[in-house]
Amino acid sequence: MAPSQSLQVHLSPAELSYLRSTLSQTPPIRLDHSKGPRDFRSMRAEYDVLPTANGSARIALEDGLEALVGVKAEVEKSQCHSPLGRRESPPTISPGDVSMLDGDDEDDAGAGGQNAWVELSIEVPGFRDDDPLPVFLGSMLHETLVADGQLTHSLYINRRFHWKLYIDILLLSPPLSYPLALLSMTTHLALLTTRLPALKSEKDEDPLFDDDWAAAIPLYPNCKQSGSNVVNKPPVIVVAMAVGENIVFDPCKEELAVADTVLALACTASPSSSTGARIVGMRTIDPPSHLTPPGIPNSMNSATGGTAPTSSTSALTQRELLANSGVWIPPRGGMKRTLLAQVSKMVSEKGGIGEEVINALEGIEVG
Amino acid sequence: MEYFSLKRSTAIDGGNANLSSKVYVRSTKSGKVQKIVREMYLRQDIPCSSNLCRACLQIAPIDYSKKAVPFVLSDTPAGSKHFLNGQYLVPDTNAFLTGMDLFEVETAFHDVIVLQTVLEEVKNRSLPLYHRLIALTKNEGKRFYVFFNEFRQETHVQRNAGETINDRNDRAVRKAVQWYNQHIAEAQAARSKKSQRIPSVVMISDDRDNLRKAKADGIPALTLSDFVSGLENGNDLLDMISAAQERREVRTGKPEVFYPEYFTMSRMMTGLKAGAMHQGIFNVSPYNYLEGSVHVPAFDRSLLILGRENGNRAVSGDVVVVEILPKDQWKAPPTKIIEEESLNKNDNPEAEDGENVSSERERRALQEEVKRVHGQSTEGRPQPTARVVGIIKRNWRQYVGHIDRDSVRSTSKTSRQQQVVFLVPMDKRIPKIRLRTRQAGELLGQRVLATIDSWERDSRYPFGHFVRSLGELESKEAETEALLLEWDVQYRPFPKTVLDCLPAEGHDWKVPASLDDPGWRGRKDLRDLLVCSIDPPGCVDIDDALHARQLTNGNFEVGVHIADVSHFVKPNNAMDKEASQRGTTVYLVDKRIDMLPMLLGTDLCSLKPYIERYAFSVLWEITPDADLVSANFTKSVIRSREAFSYEQAQIRIDDNSRQDDLTNGMRVLMMLSKKLRQKRMDAGALNLASPEVKVQTESETSDPVDVQTKKLLDTNSLVEEFMLLANISVARKNYQAFPQTALLRRHAAPPKTNFEELSSQLKVKKGLELRTESSKSLADSLDLCTDPNEPFFNTLVRIMATRCMMSAEYFCSGTQAYPEFRHYGLASEIYTHFTSPIRRYADLEAHRQLAAAIDYETLDPSLHSKAKLEGVCKNINVRHRNAQMAGRASIEYYVGQALKGKNIIEEGFVMRIFSNGFVVFVPRFGIESLIRLRDLASPEPEAEFDAEEYVLRVKGSVGREIELFEKVRVKITDEKEESTGKRKVRISMV
Repeated sequence: MAPSQSLQVHLSPAELSYLRSTLSQTPPIRLDHSKGPRDFRSMRAEYDVLPTANGSARIALEDGLEALVGVKAEVEKSQCHSPLGRRESPPTISPGDVSMLDGDDEDDAGAGGQNAWVELSIEVPGFRDDDPLPVFLGSMLHETLVADGQLTHSLYINRRFHWKLYIDILLLSPPLSYPLALLSMTTHLALLTTRLPALKSEKDEDPLFDDDWAAAIPLYPNCKQSGSNVVNKPPVIVVAMAVGENIVFDPCKEELAVADTVLALACTASPSSSTGARIVGMRTIDPPSHLTPPGIPNSMNSATGGTAPTSSTSALTQRELLANSGVWIPPRGGMKRTLLAQVSKMVSEKGGIGEEVINALEGIEVG
Repeated sequence: MEYFSLKRSTAIDGGNANLSSKVYVRSTKSGKVQKIVREMYLRQDIPCSSNLCRACLQIAPIDYSKKAVPFVLSDTPAGSKHFLNGQYLVPDTNAFLTGMDLFEVETAFHDVIVLQTVLEEVKNRSLPLYHRLIALTKNEGKRFYVFFNEFRQETHVQRNAGETINDRNDRAVRKAVQWYNQHIAEAQAARSKKSQRIPSVVMISDDRDNLRKAKADGIPALTLSDFVSGLENGNDLLDMISAAQERREVRTGKPEVFYPEYFTMSRMMTGLKAGAMHQGIFNVSPYNYLEGSVHVPAFDRSLLILGRENGNRAVSGDVVVVEILPKDQWKAPPTKIIEEESLNKNDNPEAEDGENVSSERERRALQEEVKRVHGQSTEGRPQPTARVVGIIKRNWRQYVGHIDRDSVRSTSKTSRQQQVVFLVPMDKRIPKIRLRTRQAGELLGQRVLATIDSWERDSRYPFGHFVRSLGELESKEAETEALLLEWDVQYRPFPKTVLDCLPAEGHDWKVPASLDDPGWRGRKDLRDLLVCSIDPPGCVDIDDALHARQLTNGNFEVGVHIADVSHFVKPNNAMDKEASQRGTTVYLVDKRIDMLPMLLGTDLCSLKPYIERYAFSVLWEITPDADLVSANFTKSVIRSREAFSYEQAQIRIDDNSRQDDLTNGMRVLMMLSKKLRQKRMDAGALNLASPEVKVQTESETSDPVDVQTKKLLDTNSLVEEFMLLANISVARKNYQAFPQTALLRRHAAPPKTNFEELSSQLKVKKGLELRTESSKSLADSLDLCTDPNEPFFNTLVRIMATRCMMSAEYFCSGTQAYPEFRHYGLASEIYTHFTSPIRRYADLEAHRQLAAAIDYETLDPSLHSKAKLEGVCKNINVRHRNAQMAGRASIEYYVGQALKGKNIIEEGFVMRIFSNGFVVFVPRFGIESLIRLRDLASPEPEAEFDAEEYVLRVKGSVGREIELFEKVRVKITDEKEESTGKRKVRISMV
């Protein structure tokens, strides 16, 4: 999908060509030259900003991009298997209503959640909610959240009821640059602080909850406090782009305009160890660089003594030949396997980008 | 990058936040679960309300008249042993929950500060106690002050991380006490330089941890019992502390359990929704304390609950959840009288060990029952039984009873030793209550008021505590108060707020002379009509008056004039609220408990003769054949010419020498009423009978002299017919004007099953058939139920048939479909109560609706709201029933007193037969009584009970058969009933 116009940058072919050549140097020089290829834009984050939501977070990036996420949970009746529901039909005197007393060991363990239990809505200023950008962002975020089944699993209450999670994502600023990573991080932080009322009822009864909010249970229990080894964290998406052989993380808007390829990597804390990250999803994103106007080399410009190509196909061929001449041509896309492996490694390795991002978000204490 | 936060900053006013918030989870009925955040604005102008303090007087908020609420707490509070300088008390939640009766004592517990934290907790824990606490804070003499500590900045407490709500609330209480102490000290210092008497503010708590922390912070604190023992009559007061608390501490780690545990609330809710469990009100049979029943909406017939274990600590009146037992445990309802007293005589209230839920004897009694049932085929078909699995709502109230003499160990009046005794409630359906008391000796032979506090799984009987003594058993005062309490009749004098609503002129109020007066607006001047009233002799609250005159076209104009109470009682003022609470006037033999203050009831509203009075008139044009031509309604002014008693009126009508217009008018009324009555009977109205007796009392001492059955004259039915007609006309008009919210009265047709037994009894014993398809066929077949040799037999059948009926009820028209409006007994499509607004609240509401229907005034919004009207109906239905019961109980008491020491032989009829006894009804006194087999001879004779023939064949020395409907001669003596302490008529066979 091509990011729509507002994401386009208005740079001349010469500027684009300059940008690209600096980024493809070793080491690459980024637009903000103080940052290395692995550096993220600095941000301000706070959580619990919405008092009535179950969890919420706000992150503002240094370039003015700002997002707010609220998470609300509602109890919902499960549709598929309700053992009591079936019994309702004949209103006879069936003295033993025993299903509640039955052991539900196996059933419960296997009870997974459904993806529909998480509903996500995105509001981007200047876009209708059926515009491609919000729809694409929404489905990317949703598929990431439900990818490992952990989130929906923790929404299970009993065989008849489950929590339904409504995640409302609000981009407070205009989409100055591609907001996917920001939205994902804000969602991550909001989910991390989401708490669900503590359940008091047992088994398959109609759920009854503790009215004390302080007793509410975090959706993602803090592993350090609970002491369990199983690390369970909401997934987060990092965006990486490739320029030539170089890989740059968290590209800004202008950098995206010269990207060869853009990758969105969804990662989550690795389940076994507390180091490294596990990649749960990966997608390529059509970079805006494809839509940039190509530069016209002298050889193709009749004004400078060249000959204008007679047809568009011959123009393409001629440009191919001039690929490394320094005249801007939009990248064709595609990514080498080795590059892909390299990105994955950088994200998932011990002390890699994924772990760094997740730890950083967990480390946020005061807003 | 400039940083800002979306969160509200607490730094704005230097950390001294004037804003706080409370977060909690709310679960709605529809199953939604919401996180709720409530913001609280903290203020500094909430006064301490102590008359010692001048500073608070300055800051106290003022109302529109620029006046602050007067301060409550005395500047010289009473002292005690521990605090000689006087004390203000700050009880915590548990102190109120366990000691509410103590706080209500008039002689002690003044100057109490009720913290908002505590008040809210009390509300959450027990609504009835909360209402009593609120009533206390309104009682000026007690000086209870509600201090909103959560809203006052200095005393507001933020919950710490990891702190439980209870700990936080305890801390809030301590903080408030601390602040108060400091504040009072400052106030005293500001008042006089050399202050020597600074009252202490004392926390009352039984929580050890709380007390320890208070001690550490130097906050004065005492346990409730410590404080009470420091008072003068401390020992007596200690009895009034709820037993629940003590028990919890005394018995720890004693796992012996007699009753199954209740299900969790969520499990019951799930079960109810799924239809596997049922909810209803637990009722205990007055004949058999082991037989309970629960009527649930799912079934026509009530579910039986047999035995104590299945009853599982439910007390009659509780809202319970039941689960149906497997079919092999279904049983027929017992036909045996089982009384608690006879089975459990030897229980020891102190003994806790070796207790069984169903004692050996109880179990045997039930076993015999079951065996008998199994041997039967048709009659005693097993019925579904159920067991109680949980309680939705306890409807425990205060119970009147007496102390069981056998349960008292030492009867010495001087001994102050605490012992556990049984209180035997007057209401046989209530189990014995264990009381812990230090004054057992004194309480013997007294009517005692007590409440139930708890019923733990490991105790056979509920635990309660003593509230107060009403006086000697059988004394008139004690017995009257007892029955008013038992039937929940509000008998306290009207509070000042109510009396303030009365017209300022008092007894001098008159109908304004000038027709321009606003009181005359919309009123018709009917002063020249020849109106008279006919009531029982000695009646002072005259609701209704009548007139009739011939019109020129040959038809008659008949008017019913009803006291215009709604003119004096405006909706929603204090008097209206009190009246709607009381619902009805209660008539006892020697006493009347008014719904409205005397001034209105017996003077300003009462349609007294020779004086002008406001009235609400219904005017009909009626043909000589008693067909209605038209009906008109109007507010009016009338002047009654005469107030007759039924007898006087009858004499006057019968006296042919009287040919004045008034008497002729009455003759017209008489003629029309007879035709109206005939029409009603033809339409199928029932002529039902209930045993009504009148107790004649000596006018001075109101001691009962004689008992008579009431005589009915033609004039009784004259008045009755026109009142019925007025009620029906008004019901039509109101329903037409307010189809959704008219207040009406209905009498549902009884389900067929109600008559099954009576009908089979009549068939078996007398060969008579009772047809119950409609009220008409019932009325006709009742007419045929006669025994040529026994004129009373018909009345007896009617009395029994009446008991099979449903009770009539008030309802709001929007809640039922039109066919359901029907009044079965009166055979009227629609009915309401309009004619007695002085003594019934329903009539007052009907007056207001009618006034709005004829555009006399606008309708109060409360009468537009279906929900509010439903609430009113629910209340007055209950009050109505209770008033009837109280009236009957009063008659019963007086009949007992009148027969005291007498020994009369009378005729009686057998009304009901059990396998070990039967019930005899004596028409002369309108009493019925149980005769047990063991009363016939001792040892108890053997008997064979034929349930299909309704015969009890007594063997042995007695050797006679007792048949249903049989006429027997009985000896009437009186005795004091052991189980209830009531003097009761005792009937024995001759």
